[in-house]
Amino acid sequence: MNARLVVTPNLCTGCRTCELACSFTHMVDGKPGKSRIYPIDGGFKDLWVPVVCLQCEDPACMKACLVNAITRNEETGAMVLDNDRCVLCMACVAACPFGCTLPDEVNALVVKCDLCDGDPVCAHFCPTKALQYKTIISTERRSA
Amino acid sequence: MVNLTINGRVVRAEEGEMLLNVIKRQGINIPATCHHDAVEPYGACRLCTVEITKETWQGWKNYVTSCLYPVEEGLIVNTHSPEVVELRKTILDLLLARSPNARLIQEMAAEYGITHTSFEEIADGDDCILCGLCTRVCDALGFCAISSVNRGHGREIAPPLWEAPPDCVGCLACAQVCPTDFIEYTDKGTERTIWGKKFELLVCEQTGRPTITHEFAKYLSRNRDIPEEYFKLNDVSHRKELALTMGKITHWGREE
Repeated sequence: MNARLVVTPNLCTGCRTCELACSFTHMVDGKPGKSRIYPIDGGFKDLWVPVVCLQCEDPACMKACLVNAITRNEETGAMVLDNDRCVLCMACVAACPFGCTLPDEVNALVVKCDLCDGDPVCAHFCPTKALQYKTIISTERRSA
Repeated sequence: MVNLTINGRVVRAEEGEMLLNVIKRQGINIPATCHHDAVEPYGACRLCTVEITKETWQGWKNYVTSCLYPVEEGLIVNTHSPEVVELRKTILDLLLARSPNARLIQEMAAEYGITHTSFEEIADGDDCILCGLCTRVCDALGFCAISSVNRGHGREIAPPLWEAPPDCVGCLACAQVCPTDFIEYTDKGTERTIWGKKFELLVCEQTGRPTITHEFAKYLSRNRDIPEEYFKLNDVSHRKELALTMGKITHWGREE
Protein backbone atom coordinates (compact mmCIF):
# COMPACT_ATOMS: atom_id res chain seq x y z
CA MET A 1 0.00 0.00 0.00
CA ASN A 2 2.63 2.51 -0.97
CA ALA A 3 1.14 3.94 -4.15
CA ARG A 4 -1.43 6.72 -4.54
CA LEU A 5 -3.44 8.27 -7.34
CA VAL A 6 -2.06 11.80 -7.03
CA VAL A 7 -4.37 14.56 -8.23
CA THR A 8 -2.86 17.94 -9.10
CA PRO A 9 -5.76 20.33 -9.82
CA ASN A 10 -3.31 23.00 -11.08
CA LEU A 11 -2.56 20.88 -14.14
CA CYS A 12 -6.13 19.82 -14.93
CA THR A 13 -7.62 21.43 -18.04
CA GLY A 14 -11.06 19.89 -17.58
CA CYS A 15 -10.77 17.90 -20.82
CA ARG A 16 -12.67 14.96 -19.29
CA THR A 17 -10.45 12.35 -20.91
CA CYS A 18 -10.27 10.62 -17.52
CA GLU A 19 -14.06 10.35 -17.47
CA LEU A 20 -14.07 8.64 -20.84
CA ALA A 21 -11.17 6.36 -19.93
CA CYS A 22 -12.95 5.36 -16.71
CA SER A 23 -16.34 4.69 -18.21
CA PHE A 24 -14.87 2.75 -21.12
CA THR A 25 -12.86 0.65 -18.68
CA HIS A 26 -15.62 -0.12 -16.19
CA MET A 27 -18.78 0.10 -18.28
CA VAL A 28 -19.54 -1.06 -21.77
CA ASP A 29 -20.81 2.01 -23.57
CA GLY A 30 -18.32 4.61 -22.34
CA LYS A 31 -20.91 7.16 -21.27
CA PRO A 32 -19.14 9.95 -19.35
CA GLY A 33 -21.92 9.91 -16.76
CA LYS A 34 -20.99 6.36 -15.84
CA SER A 35 -17.51 7.42 -14.79
CA ARG A 36 -16.11 7.15 -11.28
CA ILE A 37 -14.01 10.26 -11.68
CA TYR A 38 -15.38 13.72 -12.39
CA PRO A 39 -13.48 16.91 -13.18
CA ILE A 40 -15.57 19.58 -11.43
CA ASP A 41 -15.29 23.36 -11.58
CA GLY A 42 -13.08 24.41 -8.67
CA GLY A 43 -14.72 27.83 -8.27
CA PHE A 44 -11.93 29.90 -9.83
CA LYS A 45 -11.03 30.78 -13.40
CA ASP A 46 -9.54 27.86 -15.35
CA LEU A 47 -9.48 25.70 -12.26
CA TRP A 48 -10.76 22.16 -12.47
CA VAL A 49 -10.58 19.54 -9.75
CA PRO A 50 -10.75 15.89 -10.77
CA VAL A 51 -12.88 14.44 -7.97
CA VAL A 52 -12.17 10.78 -7.35
CA CYS A 53 -12.36 8.44 -4.36
CA LEU A 54 -9.69 9.45 -1.84
CA GLN A 55 -9.28 5.88 -0.50
CA CYS A 56 -9.53 7.27 3.06
CA GLU A 57 -7.56 5.88 5.98
CA ASP A 58 -10.74 5.62 8.05
CA PRO A 59 -13.40 5.30 5.37
CA ALA A 60 -17.01 6.20 6.14
CA CYS A 61 -18.22 3.88 3.35
CA MET A 62 -16.64 0.85 5.00
CA LYS A 63 -18.01 1.83 8.40
CA ALA A 64 -21.47 2.35 6.96
CA CYS A 65 -21.59 -0.95 5.06
CA LEU A 66 -23.63 -3.34 7.18
CA VAL A 67 -22.78 -6.45 5.14
CA ASN A 68 -19.01 -5.86 4.84
CA ALA A 69 -19.15 -5.51 1.07
CA ILE A 70 -16.51 -2.75 1.11
CA THR A 71 -13.02 -3.87 2.06
CA ARG A 72 -9.52 -2.59 1.53
CA ASN A 73 -7.39 -4.32 -1.06
CA GLU A 74 -4.13 -4.50 0.86
CA GLU A 75 -2.05 -4.73 -2.32
CA THR A 76 -3.32 -1.57 -4.01
CA GLY A 77 -4.66 0.24 -0.96
CA ALA A 78 -7.98 0.80 -2.72
CA MET A 79 -11.34 0.45 -1.03
CA VAL A 80 -13.06 -2.17 -3.17
CA LEU A 81 -16.80 -2.75 -3.32
CA ASP A 82 -17.90 -6.33 -3.89
CA ASN A 83 -21.05 -6.05 -6.01
CA ASP A 84 -22.01 -9.66 -5.32
CA ARG A 85 -22.16 -8.91 -1.60
CA CYS A 86 -23.81 -5.51 -1.91
CA VAL A 87 -27.51 -5.40 -0.99
CA LEU A 88 -28.03 -1.86 -2.33
CA CYS A 89 -29.11 -0.28 0.94
CA MET A 90 -27.32 2.93 -0.19
CA ALA A 91 -25.75 3.48 3.24
CA CYS A 92 -22.29 4.01 1.71
CA VAL A 93 -23.62 6.44 -0.89
CA ALA A 94 -25.20 8.57 1.82
CA ALA A 95 -22.27 8.22 4.22
CA CYS A 96 -19.35 9.16 1.92
CA PRO A 97 -18.55 12.80 2.79
CA PHE A 98 -16.90 13.28 -0.62
CA GLY A 99 -19.68 11.76 -2.73
CA CYS A 100 -17.36 9.26 -4.36
CA THR A 101 -19.44 6.15 -3.82
CA LEU A 102 -21.80 6.34 -6.76
CA PRO A 103 -25.20 4.80 -7.35
CA ASP A 104 -25.74 3.37 -10.83
CA GLU A 105 -29.51 3.27 -10.99
CA VAL A 106 -29.71 1.85 -14.52
CA ASN A 107 -27.75 -1.31 -13.72
CA ALA A 108 -28.82 -1.42 -10.04
CA LEU A 109 -25.26 -1.20 -8.76
CA VAL A 110 -23.17 0.89 -6.44
CA VAL A 111 -19.79 1.69 -7.95
CA LYS A 112 -16.63 3.36 -6.74
CA CYS A 113 -13.03 3.83 -7.84
CA ASP A 114 -11.02 0.66 -7.24
CA LEU A 115 -7.77 2.04 -8.73
CA CYS A 116 -8.20 -0.51 -11.58
CA ASP A 117 -6.47 -3.21 -9.51
CA GLY A 118 -3.34 -1.12 -9.12
CA ASP A 119 -3.05 0.40 -12.59
CA PRO A 120 -5.52 3.32 -12.93
CA VAL A 121 -6.41 3.81 -16.58
CA CYS A 122 -7.37 7.48 -16.04
CA ALA A 123 -3.78 8.27 -15.06
CA HIS A 124 -2.50 6.71 -18.31
CA PHE A 125 -4.82 8.86 -20.40
CA CYS A 126 -4.45 12.20 -18.57
CA PRO A 127 -2.70 14.41 -21.15
CA THR A 128 -1.41 16.98 -18.64
CA LYS A 129 -0.35 14.57 -15.87
CA ALA A 130 -2.88 16.07 -13.46
CA LEU A 131 -3.55 12.47 -12.53
CA GLN A 132 -0.53 10.40 -11.70
CA TYR A 133 -0.16 7.04 -10.06
CA LYS A 134 2.90 7.43 -7.88
CA THR A 135 4.76 5.29 -5.42
CA ILE A 136 4.91 7.16 -2.13
CA ILE A 137 8.03 6.95 -0.03
CA SER A 138 6.92 6.16 3.49
CA THR A 139 7.34 8.88 6.10
CA GLU A 140 9.57 6.72 8.30
CA ARG A 141 12.09 6.35 5.53
CA ARG A 142 12.05 10.06 4.77
CA SER A 143 12.78 11.07 8.34
CA ALA A 144 15.62 8.54 8.65
CA MET B 1 -6.87 -27.10 -1.11
CA VAL B 2 -8.99 -29.93 -2.50
CA ASN B 3 -9.22 -31.29 -6.04
CA LEU B 4 -12.54 -32.07 -7.63
CA THR B 5 -13.92 -32.64 -11.11
CA ILE B 6 -16.64 -30.40 -12.51
CA ASN B 7 -18.11 -31.41 -15.89
CA GLY B 8 -14.94 -33.39 -16.64
CA ARG B 9 -12.53 -30.62 -15.70
CA VAL B 10 -10.26 -30.93 -12.67
CA VAL B 11 -10.45 -27.82 -10.50
CA ARG B 12 -8.97 -26.76 -7.19
CA ALA B 13 -10.98 -25.22 -4.40
CA GLU B 14 -10.48 -23.97 -0.86
CA GLU B 15 -11.47 -26.36 1.87
CA GLY B 16 -14.92 -25.61 3.26
CA GLU B 17 -15.96 -23.65 0.19
CA MET B 18 -19.45 -24.30 -1.13
CA LEU B 19 -19.80 -26.15 -4.41
CA LEU B 20 -21.85 -23.38 -6.05
CA ASN B 21 -19.03 -20.84 -5.63
CA VAL B 22 -16.59 -23.18 -7.35
CA ILE B 23 -19.05 -23.89 -10.17
CA LYS B 24 -19.66 -20.17 -10.70
CA ARG B 25 -15.93 -19.47 -10.72
CA GLN B 26 -15.59 -21.93 -13.59
CA GLY B 27 -18.01 -19.79 -15.59
CA ILE B 28 -20.69 -22.45 -15.55
CA ASN B 29 -24.14 -20.94 -15.44
CA ILE B 30 -26.66 -22.68 -13.21
CA PRO B 31 -29.73 -20.94 -11.82
CA ALA B 32 -29.66 -20.00 -8.13
CA THR B 33 -32.30 -17.50 -7.10
CA CYS B 34 -32.03 -17.68 -3.31
CA HIS B 35 -28.25 -17.29 -3.26
CA HIS B 36 -26.56 -14.04 -2.23
CA ASP B 37 -22.97 -13.54 -1.14
CA ALA B 38 -23.98 -11.30 1.76
CA VAL B 39 -25.89 -14.06 3.58
CA GLU B 40 -25.37 -17.68 4.52
CA PRO B 41 -26.55 -20.26 1.96
CA TYR B 42 -30.10 -21.40 2.55
CA GLY B 43 -31.11 -23.94 -0.10
CA ALA B 44 -34.66 -22.72 -0.55
CA CYS B 45 -35.11 -22.57 -4.32
CA ARG B 46 -33.37 -25.92 -5.04
CA LEU B 47 -32.51 -24.73 -8.54
CA CYS B 48 -28.75 -25.11 -8.03
CA THR B 49 -29.13 -28.88 -7.65
CA VAL B 50 -26.25 -30.82 -9.21
CA GLU B 51 -25.28 -34.45 -9.55
CA ILE B 52 -22.37 -35.67 -7.46
CA THR B 53 -20.54 -38.94 -7.31
CA LYS B 54 -17.16 -40.37 -6.31
CA GLU B 55 -15.04 -43.13 -7.76
CA THR B 56 -15.49 -45.07 -4.53
CA TRP B 57 -19.27 -44.88 -4.70
CA GLN B 58 -19.46 -47.72 -7.26
CA GLY B 59 -21.74 -45.89 -9.66
CA TRP B 60 -24.06 -44.44 -7.01
CA LYS B 61 -25.02 -40.84 -7.49
CA ASN B 62 -26.50 -38.16 -5.31
CA TYR B 63 -28.36 -34.95 -6.08
CA VAL B 64 -27.53 -32.03 -3.80
CA THR B 65 -28.11 -28.29 -3.69
CA SER B 66 -24.68 -27.00 -4.59
CA CYS B 67 -25.06 -23.78 -2.59
CA LEU B 68 -25.15 -25.83 0.62
CA TYR B 69 -22.65 -28.56 -0.23
CA PRO B 70 -19.03 -28.10 0.92
CA VAL B 71 -16.41 -29.32 -1.56
CA GLU B 72 -14.76 -32.68 -0.97
CA GLU B 73 -11.61 -34.30 -2.26
CA GLY B 74 -12.26 -36.44 -5.35
CA LEU B 75 -15.82 -35.25 -5.89
CA ILE B 76 -17.11 -35.69 -9.44
CA VAL B 77 -19.76 -33.06 -10.26
CA ASN B 78 -22.05 -32.87 -13.24
CA THR B 79 -24.09 -29.68 -13.53
CA HIS B 80 -26.07 -30.52 -16.65
CA SER B 81 -26.54 -34.31 -16.76
CA PRO B 82 -29.92 -35.44 -18.19
CA GLU B 83 -31.14 -36.34 -14.69
CA VAL B 84 -30.18 -32.93 -13.27
CA VAL B 85 -31.85 -31.12 -16.16
CA GLU B 86 -34.97 -33.21 -15.58
CA LEU B 87 -34.91 -32.36 -11.86
CA ARG B 88 -34.40 -28.67 -12.56
CA LYS B 89 -37.30 -28.74 -15.03
CA THR B 90 -39.58 -30.19 -12.36
CA ILE B 91 -38.50 -27.54 -9.85
CA LEU B 92 -39.09 -24.76 -12.39
CA ASP B 93 -42.43 -26.34 -13.26
CA LEU B 94 -43.44 -26.22 -9.59
CA LEU B 95 -42.17 -22.66 -9.16
CA LEU B 96 -44.13 -21.67 -12.24
CA ALA B 97 -47.26 -23.19 -10.72
CA ARG B 98 -46.76 -21.02 -7.65
CA SER B 99 -45.68 -17.83 -9.38
CA PRO B 100 -47.02 -17.97 -12.96
CA ASN B 101 -46.51 -14.24 -13.51
CA ALA B 102 -42.97 -13.86 -12.14
CA ARG B 103 -40.81 -12.67 -15.04
CA LEU B 104 -37.61 -14.28 -13.71
CA ILE B 105 -39.24 -17.69 -13.27
CA GLN B 106 -40.83 -17.46 -16.72
CA GLU B 107 -37.47 -16.68 -18.30
CA MET B 108 -35.65 -19.44 -16.43
CA ALA B 109 -38.36 -21.95 -17.31
CA ALA B 110 -38.27 -20.89 -20.95
CA GLU B 111 -34.54 -21.62 -20.98
CA TYR B 112 -35.41 -25.19 -20.02
CA GLY B 113 -38.23 -25.36 -22.57
CA ILE B 114 -41.18 -24.81 -20.23
CA THR B 115 -43.72 -22.17 -21.17
CA HIS B 116 -46.69 -23.40 -19.13
CA THR B 117 -46.73 -25.31 -15.90
CA SER B 118 -47.95 -28.88 -16.08
CA PHE B 119 -49.30 -28.58 -12.55
CA GLU B 120 -52.37 -26.68 -11.51
CA GLU B 121 -51.65 -22.99 -11.09
CA ILE B 122 -52.32 -21.66 -7.62
CA ALA B 123 -55.38 -19.44 -7.93
CA ASP B 124 -54.03 -16.64 -5.74
CA GLY B 125 -50.39 -17.30 -6.67
CA ASP B 126 -48.18 -14.26 -6.28
CA ASP B 127 -44.65 -13.54 -7.45
CA CYS B 128 -43.07 -14.48 -4.10
CA ILE B 129 -41.16 -17.75 -4.45
CA LEU B 130 -40.51 -17.88 -0.68
CA CYS B 131 -36.74 -17.94 -1.11
CA GLY B 132 -36.40 -15.98 2.12
CA LEU B 133 -33.63 -13.79 0.71
CA CYS B 134 -35.34 -10.59 1.92
CA THR B 135 -35.64 -11.78 5.51
CA ARG B 136 -32.09 -13.11 5.56
CA VAL B 137 -30.67 -9.87 4.18
CA CYS B 138 -32.73 -7.90 6.70
CA ASP B 139 -31.27 -10.09 9.47
CA ALA B 140 -27.75 -9.66 8.08
CA LEU B 141 -28.18 -5.88 8.11
CA GLY B 142 -29.19 -6.19 11.76
CA PHE B 143 -32.77 -4.94 11.55
CA CYS B 144 -34.80 -8.19 11.56
CA ALA B 145 -37.91 -6.23 10.59
CA ILE B 146 -39.57 -8.96 8.52
CA SER B 147 -39.72 -12.74 8.65
CA SER B 148 -41.59 -15.64 7.15
CA VAL B 149 -44.85 -16.40 8.90
CA ASN B 150 -47.06 -19.52 8.98
CA ARG B 151 -46.16 -22.87 7.48
CA GLY B 152 -46.81 -24.92 4.38
CA HIS B 153 -49.43 -23.55 2.05
CA GLY B 154 -50.06 -20.43 4.13
CA ARG B 155 -46.41 -19.41 4.38
CA GLU B 156 -45.64 -15.83 3.47
CA ILE B 157 -43.19 -13.03 4.19
CA ALA B 158 -44.60 -10.37 6.49
CA PRO B 159 -43.77 -7.89 9.21
CA PRO B 160 -44.76 -8.85 12.77
CA LEU B 161 -48.56 -9.11 13.10
CA TRP B 162 -48.92 -7.72 9.56
CA GLU B 163 -48.55 -4.23 10.99
CA ALA B 164 -46.05 -1.51 10.07
CA PRO B 165 -42.74 -3.03 11.29
CA PRO B 166 -41.24 -0.97 14.14
CA ASP B 167 -37.66 -2.12 13.35
CA CYS B 168 -37.77 -1.28 9.63
CA VAL B 169 -35.61 1.72 8.67
CA GLY B 170 -36.74 1.83 5.03
CA CYS B 171 -33.39 1.01 3.41
CA LEU B 172 -35.13 -0.96 0.61
CA ALA B 173 -32.48 -3.71 0.68
CA CYS B 174 -35.22 -6.38 0.82
CA ALA B 175 -36.88 -5.01 -2.30
CA GLN B 176 -33.54 -4.62 -4.09
CA VAL B 177 -32.41 -8.23 -3.53
CA CYS B 178 -35.82 -9.82 -4.21
CA PRO B 179 -35.18 -12.02 -7.27
CA THR B 180 -38.74 -11.63 -8.57
CA ASP B 181 -39.22 -7.95 -7.60
CA PHE B 182 -42.23 -8.89 -5.52
CA ILE B 183 -41.69 -6.52 -2.62
CA GLU B 184 -43.55 -3.32 -3.30
CA TYR B 185 -42.51 0.14 -2.25
CA THR B 186 -43.30 3.65 -3.33
CA ASP B 187 -41.01 6.67 -3.45
CA LYS B 188 -43.07 9.82 -3.89
CA GLY B 189 -41.02 12.97 -3.49
CA THR B 190 -39.65 12.79 0.03
CA GLU B 191 -42.06 10.13 1.19
CA ARG B 192 -41.31 6.42 1.09
CA THR B 193 -43.69 3.60 1.89
CA ILE B 194 -42.65 -0.03 2.36
CA TRP B 195 -44.28 -2.82 4.37
CA GLY B 196 -47.09 -0.39 5.17
CA LYS B 197 -44.74 1.96 7.03
CA LYS B 198 -44.28 5.56 5.99
CA PHE B 199 -40.86 7.19 6.01
CA GLU B 200 -39.70 10.74 5.52
CA LEU B 201 -36.56 10.97 3.37
CA LEU B 202 -33.68 13.28 4.17
CA VAL B 203 -33.25 16.05 1.63
CA CYS B 204 -29.99 17.38 0.27
CA GLU B 205 -29.59 20.97 1.45
CA GLN B 206 -28.22 22.14 -1.90
CA THR B 207 -30.03 20.20 -4.59
CA GLY B 208 -33.23 19.34 -2.72
CA ARG B 209 -32.96 15.72 -3.84
CA PRO B 210 -34.04 12.98 -1.41
CA THR B 211 -31.33 10.63 -0.06
CA ILE B 212 -32.00 8.06 2.69
CA THR B 213 -34.60 7.89 5.42
CA HIS B 214 -34.26 9.75 8.74
CA GLU B 215 -34.40 6.43 10.58
CA PHE B 216 -31.59 4.87 8.55
CA ALA B 217 -29.36 7.94 8.95
CA LYS B 218 -29.99 7.92 12.70
CA TYR B 219 -29.14 4.22 12.87
CA LEU B 220 -25.90 4.73 10.92
CA SER B 221 -24.74 7.68 13.01
CA ARG B 222 -25.58 5.96 16.27
CA ASN B 223 -24.29 2.45 15.57
CA ARG B 224 -21.71 3.00 12.87
CA ASP B 225 -20.06 6.14 14.17
CA ILE B 226 -20.81 8.29 11.12
CA PRO B 227 -21.24 12.03 11.85
CA GLU B 228 -24.77 13.22 11.22
CA GLU B 229 -23.62 16.18 9.12
CA TYR B 230 -22.44 13.72 6.44
CA PHE B 231 -26.10 13.08 5.64
CA LYS B 232 -26.93 16.73 5.00
CA LEU B 233 -25.89 16.59 1.34
CA ASN B 234 -26.25 14.03 -1.42
CA ASP B 235 -23.34 12.62 -3.41
CA VAL B 236 -23.48 15.27 -6.16
CA SER B 237 -23.31 18.15 -3.66
CA HIS B 238 -20.57 16.38 -1.71
CA ARG B 239 -18.44 16.18 -4.86
CA LYS B 240 -19.07 19.84 -5.60
CA GLU B 241 -18.07 20.80 -2.06
CA LEU B 242 -14.88 18.74 -2.34
CA ALA B 243 -14.02 20.40 -5.66
CA LEU B 244 -14.60 23.88 -4.21
CA THR B 245 -12.46 23.13 -1.15
CA MET B 246 -9.65 21.68 -3.22
CA GLY B 247 -10.07 24.58 -5.65
CA LYS B 248 -9.55 27.11 -2.86
CA ILE B 249 -6.41 25.34 -1.64
CA THR B 250 -5.02 25.18 -5.18
CA HIS B 251 -5.88 28.85 -5.76
CA TRP B 252 -3.94 29.90 -2.65
CA GLY B 253 -1.00 27.88 -3.92
CA ARG B 254 -1.18 29.71 -7.27
CA GLU B 255 -1.11 33.14 -5.63
CA GLU B 256 2.02 32.36 -3.73
